[in-house]
Amino acid sequence: MSDQAILRIEAVEKRFGAVRAVDGVSLEVGRREFFALLGPSGSGKTTLLRIVSGLEAPDRGRVEIGGTDVTRLPPYLRRIGMVFQDFLLFPHRTVAENITFPLKMQGRNAAEREEQLDWILGFVRMEGLGDRFPHQLSGGQKQRVALARGLVSRPELLLLDEPLANLDRELRKEMEIEVRRYQEELGIPFVYVTHNQEEALTMSDRMAVMHQGVLEQIGPKLEVYNAPATRFVASFVGAPNKLSGRVIEGEGERLRIDWGGITLIGRSVGDARQGDRAEIYLKSERIALSASADGIHHENRIEGTVRDIIFKGQFADYIVRADNEAELVVSGPPSIAGVDRGSRVNLGWAVEAADVFLAADDEP
Amino acid sequence: MKGRRALLLDPRVRFATLVGPGALFIVLFLLIPLLSIVVFSFWRTESYELISDWNVNNYEAVLGEWIYLKFLLKSLAMAAAVSAICLVYAWPCAYLIAKHGGRYKLVLVLLTAAPFLTGILLRITAMQQILGPIGLVNMALMELGAQPIQVLMYTNIASAVGLIYLWIPFMLLAIYLSLFNFNFELLEVAKVNGARPWRAFFEVTWPLNWMGTAIGIVLVFIPTFAASVTPRFLGGPDGSMFVNRLEHQFGSAGTWALGSAMGVVMCVASLAVIFVLWRTVRLRRAGFTGAGA
Amino acid sequence: MAAVNPGARFVIGGQTAMLLALYLFLYFPIFYTGYLSIMENNVWPFPPVFTGEWYDRLMIMSDFHVGLLNSVLIGVGTASLSTLFATAAAIGILRYPIRRRGVIVVLFLAPLFVAQILIGISTLMFNRNVLGIPGNIESAIVANTAYSVSFAFLVILAQLVRYDWRFDEVAQVFGARPFRTFREVTFPNIWPAVLGAFIISFILGFNNFEITFYNVAAIPTLPTIAWGTLRHGIEPELYALATIVNALVFLLLFIIYLLIRVGALRLGVPDD
Repeated sequence: MSDQAILRIEAVEKRFGAVRAVDGVSLEVGRREFFALLGPSGSGKTTLLRIVSGLEAPDRGRVEIGGTDVTRLPPYLRRIGMVFQDFLLFPHRTVAENITFPLKMQGRNAAEREEQLDWILGFVRMEGLGDRFPHQLSGGQKQRVALARGLVSRPELLLLDEPLANLDRELRKEMEIEVRRYQEELGIPFVYVTHNQEEALTMSDRMAVMHQGVLEQIGPKLEVYNAPATRFVASFVGAPNKLSGRVIEGEGERLRIDWGGITLIGRSVGDARQGDRAEIYLKSERIALSASADGIHHENRIEGTVRDIIFKGQFADYIVRADNEAELVVSGPPSIAGVDRGSRVNLGWAVEAADVFLAADDEP
Repeated sequence: MKGRRALLLDPRVRFATLVGPGALFIVLFLLIPLLSIVVFSFWRTESYELISDWNVNNYEAVLGEWIYLKFLLKSLAMAAAVSAICLVYAWPCAYLIAKHGGRYKLVLVLLTAAPFLTGILLRITAMQQILGPIGLVNMALMELGAQPIQVLMYTNIASAVGLIYLWIPFMLLAIYLSLFNFNFELLEVAKVNGARPWRAFFEVTWPLNWMGTAIGIVLVFIPTFAASVTPRFLGGPDGSMFVNRLEHQFGSAGTWALGSAMGVVMCVASLAVIFVLWRTVRLRRAGFTGAGA
Repeated sequence: MAAVNPGARFVIGGQTAMLLALYLFLYFPIFYTGYLSIMENNVWPFPPVFTGEWYDRLMIMSDFHVGLLNSVLIGVGTASLSTLFATAAAIGILRYPIRRRGVIVVLFLAPLFVAQILIGISTLMFNRNVLGIPGNIESAIVANTAYSVSFAFLVILAQLVRYDWRFDEVAQVFGARPFRTFREVTFPNIWPAVLGAFIISFILGFNNFEITFYNVAAIPTLPTIAWGTLRHGIEPELYALATIVNALVFLLLFIIYLLIRVGALRLGVPDD
């Protein structure tokens, strides 16, 4: 993997006054890889992307692109492509002029620019729109032009800064698939910054989760989703239930937790020990729900009453009040036989589904 | 080479490169000359030459002798009166344009600002042929067989009218720009909460636009206080102001040091006005949110 | 403004009357000057008798052509320097969030708060007694720039706050060096503001009297010619001169108005 890396970031730090925007981040992105950088706003992910692009200089650390140290190189010498938030198409230039801008800056001749333009317009399905001005385009078209401008010179690396953030849901879904296609067909590595976990999970091969300037976890997306390494990742990725309790006893990875009078078994992540206050993160879709006790075959089983059912289209959220008065959200099919408001139901989940962390205020 | 590129990335260097030349220019050709007259004001003049013989006689003359002090007070009074009139007149006009100007705001405002650019002397020429003894107003009155209006001919009133004519655009522009950034919906909030229109104006609109208004006052006060051409050509025999005395020192009298002291006194008086108004702005905590708002 | 009650309507009516009176006050003298400039009798020009004599006399006035040329020189010089400094400073201030940039803004606006005559006499004194430079066109340009740069700065700043500097970043990421970025992206978007600042500072330099007067020694400019003439009472040639200058100023301002409209379109904001 290491010699395959197209982008290598080593111990990069950036402060803005007293704020550590990026605090000792190291990561590698391989050739042909779709890499997502996920984090809430203010987590430092955009600053990290700007450091990679050269728009911001790091205080410490190194950035390598294609084996060359570019840490001190200004953006215009890095030969990368970038897709910006809000598209940022030049308002005084046509679609064709916007797209061929990188080629023009690289000093390619007119014939070559024309050829590349025809190719990329076809590739992003924008044939015949080259003479339009940006304000004459729809949101989706602007997005395609922004992507075409980033890709036209076939850069070593394409950086994408929340490119779909300003599109409405419908269009975003369509563009997620489209962006994924560009990456697969061209084989250019993408570094995709987003605060939207759905986008990261849909498109990427690997992802990193960033929080307060620090990389919390990095790995294949399923691993990050299924086995969060830190409490922040557990709380940020997916839509988990958070159960507060106390560790009764622990044996290796398995912890026995007292959750308001109900005993549960969870997978220990971090270092909660006997007697510690603990938080269990439990993804709502990993809880089985059934009207009868026979339907549940998991190690953790509880009973409860359905307080409400929130219909979401392809699925529904069941708000279940457990016998200790705490509530859980369970995702399931829009209708389950014998389950309605007020029904008594049985819930169950695997030990691996319940990630146990030391509670926030017990940490050193 | 790498070192140079690293420098280029530093925003502080780029900022200095872009801002530096202009800033240096202003320091060299505005601030330093102004400071130089502070130095000269403590010297003395002998047969049209400055001599570095440090003394405070010039200030004793300017502030101690009634012939100078009288003109200073008169100039201050004139500037205060003209500023007040411009303020009272410009406010409703600016308010109308900002609130009800719609898509014509820009045109309406540019129309008030345009005459300012036609140049002081030519505007005074225009004023003279209207207010003067053989100007339009008096000629019309005489044609109609009425008496000419004496106060309009070469008096301090004529001078004040001329000054208002010259500087009211500044006041209007400053107030308008403030109102342009003012959220008129705040007034609705005040009214919904029971304030009558006038009450809402003095509780909300006026305090929130006081900073723009104060800037307008300063922008009118300073050039009015320092006006030389207008009183000279419209003010008549009693029209002479502090600045006309000052000009005299640089002209035929050739008393440069005394003139410098008068310039310093003018500068200090202007700064005092700015300071007082700035204090009121800070005290009122006007809803100023920054330049880009 | 749907539900306007009678009281509010009365207030708006009053304000409208005041504004119209203001326009009359500001413009009547200007148009009357134009009228007088083509009247044979300029004391009581009713009924009108047209003549072109005042313009003819102005044209053969010995100083007029020299004065016009000098005023244009001062205007162009002032405008060039002011626009250059103001554009660079406005870009620096808006683009780079340096902590103490407020100080620089105050410095660039400071000339607005200094009386012109003080600028005039202080530069005269400084040039004469410290630098030993006699009054000439160049020192008039320098002194006028020290004043006009504030106006140029305001005009540019007011429009540039709406420019999105990320466009420059886009250009740099795609390989444009700083100068290329300015040429290809920044300038094509901000030129209306720059030209607007140039025109405003040209007019200020061209028409300036109080600063220019103390810095040009005996070299004639249009305002100093007007001053010299005014001292001996109004000559009808002044009406012709005023009318020509006013027409020029209004033509230039109309261009600025068009520029603001173009600028608004360029920067992608609604044009009010």
